[in-house]
Amino acid sequence: MKILLIEDEKELSCSITEYLQKESYLCEAVLTFDDAIEKINMYQYDCIIVDINLPDGSGLNVIRALKKNKSETGIIIISAKNSLDDKVSGLGIGADDYLTKPFHLPELNARVKSIIRRRSFGGINEIVFNDIRILPEEMEVTVNGNSLDLTKKEYALLIFFISNKDRVLTKESIAEHLWGDEMDMADSFDFIYTHIKNLRKKIMEKGGEDYIRTIYGMGYKFTDR
Amino acid sequence: MKLLTRTSRYYLLISVVVFVISGLIFFRLLHTIFEKQLDETLFEEKLLIEETINFSDSVPDFRSVFGHMIDITIVNTSHVKTEYIRDTLMYDRDLGSFAAFRHLFVENTSVKHKGYTINIYKPLSDSEKLITEIILIVVLVFIILLVLLVWANYFIARRVWIPFYRTISNLSHYEINQEKPLSLMKTDIYEFNLLNQALAKMSKKIQQDYINLKEFNENASHELLTPISVIKSKLELLIQGEDLDEQQLQLISSVFDATSRISKLNQGLLLISKIENNQFAQAEEVNMSQIIDITLEHFEEIIEHRKIVITKKYFHEVILNMNRTLAEILITNLISNAIRHNIASGNIEIILTADSFSVTNTGQHLKTDPAGLFERFRKSESNPDSVGLGLSIVQKIANLYQMKVTYTYSEGLHKLKIFHLTPSHKMLIHKEKENSTPSDKD
Repeated sequence: MKILLIEDEKELSCSITEYLQKESYLCEAVLTFDDAIEKINMYQYDCIIVDINLPDGSGLNVIRALKKNKSETGIIIISAKNSLDDKVSGLGIGADDYLTKPFHLPELNARVKSIIRRRSFGGINEIVFNDIRILPEEMEVTVNGNSLDLTKKEYALLIFFISNKDRVLTKESIAEHLWGDEMDMADSFDFIYTHIKNLRKKIMEKGGEDYIRTIYGMGYKFTDR
Repeated sequence: MKLLTRTSRYYLLISVVVFVISGLIFFRLLHTIFEKQLDETLFEEKLLIEETINFSDSVPDFRSVFGHMIDITIVNTSHVKTEYIRDTLMYDRDLGSFAAFRHLFVENTSVKHKGYTINIYKPLSDSEKLITEIILIVVLVFIILLVLLVWANYFIARRVWIPFYRTISNLSHYEINQEKPLSLMKTDIYEFNLLNQALAKMSKKIQQDYINLKEFNENASHELLTPISVIKSKLELLIQGEDLDEQQLQLISSVFDATSRISKLNQGLLLISKIENNQFAQAEEVNMSQIIDITLEHFEEIIEHRKIVITKKYFHEVILNMNRTLAEILITNLISNAIRHNIASGNIEIILTADSFSVTNTGQHLKTDPAGLFERFRKSESNPDSVGLGLSIVQKIANLYQMKVTYTYSEGLHKLKIFHLTPSHKMLIHKEKENSTPSDKD
């Protein structure tokens, strides 16, 4: 899987690249508009992550250039401008997703995975993690062949975990993934725990293994290691 | 009072004063002139009479000559010459009543040493009548002149002030957050052109400042969000490390919390400044009950978790003409506020009527002054982690749409109510509807 990251902030670019490379993606990073145009004209990518505000041009024009080439590349906009106009125009010209800075790396990772999954042809649209199988289109989860009855949020949580397997996920990033920015609640993390407990219980009831580890004071990790 | 009315009024007042004073002077003057003329005639007649007396030594019948009362008497005693002239009241046989007369009295001795007195009376009524007629004509002319002048002044002023009113109308329709500059028409009046130029210059400067400020806000947020993003991403990479001990994780966790607070603060302030700058001008029809339902669904898990019972009462289907994003933020903030400051197993009652929306929740007694509830960075002790911008944002949004937010507390119930979902923002579909759906599924 090849990903192109167009982000002018070098440090952020490094972080994203490092995070995504651990997913065994081939992640190339460019810092300028010109480099980005050069890259997309030369290579084919599965997904590009583009910042709108580049020092020498607009990320929107990168998207336009891609769309002119009739590229099938998935596009995620990352922008510091929390502006609705940008979002609307970005999605309008064919971007698949929009993330506002500051975002959580696991969130970006989950979105990249979701886009690549949606675009992967061949019909193998299935997420498998050991004994857990998920059919995203049907929103169906099975553990050891047993169908799992999950709530919407539990399902989203499971996908988020599997997308970021072997990673430490902060409670905050989980909360934001499930409820967005508004979860400014004092004890919101308590009930994330409740949710995780329920998910864990449901998986184990169907004979699945417990993959969720608690990282003290920090969050959770979904891992089989 | 309109400028035109005021100037017209002053104009009229001054004209009347000037007229009265000048009229009095004119009257006096006229009177004096007529009196002088009358006196001259009397003296001429007297001279004629005296000449006749000196010449003929007899008393001629002058009455028939001059046609008014002349009384000449020959007296023996010769006196020193006396002569006076005065106004007197006498019985006028022609009129049959008393009337004012000018009376010349002369006592003298003729050439032939014969004493005589002459009394000549001339009626004043003739000249007075004339004066009255003249005054009447003058008054009439003056009134016509006055009416014409005031009318002309009014119309000229109205014409002259047209560019001024046009400028005012343009100014009042001018909105700074609209891209187009203030357009003022050129006039042929120097002062108004000067005014327009000054206004155009000022508005250009203000608009420039406004754009600069807007750009500054955007830039500041951009510049701030990028380093926050970097910190967050680095922290997320850092926690992936396998060999972190508990103490280190605790430290990182604290940095995480602080960073997300900065981030939330920044977003909140940015939102407030955007609302203040009216950057959410785009409006559409927004169904309030729909948004409430979606928001409640969004918070479903935490409501369940806290065992909060929700009661919804929609008395009307309320459709407001407002910005959708702002409507969502408004309702989300009110509902999340009610959840956040609630007690375990508490209640939230949401009531939507034709012109108000209220959220009532159980909760602990407010320890701070309720008046400051809508101020920025107002936090409760029960929830020190919140940024304290939620209700401030609610108020900003309400103000933008001329709604009113109130807070009341009684018997453990906190109530936030938004009034005046004003008719201009509202279309009502009268549909009596009440559904009470406690979403307590435990």
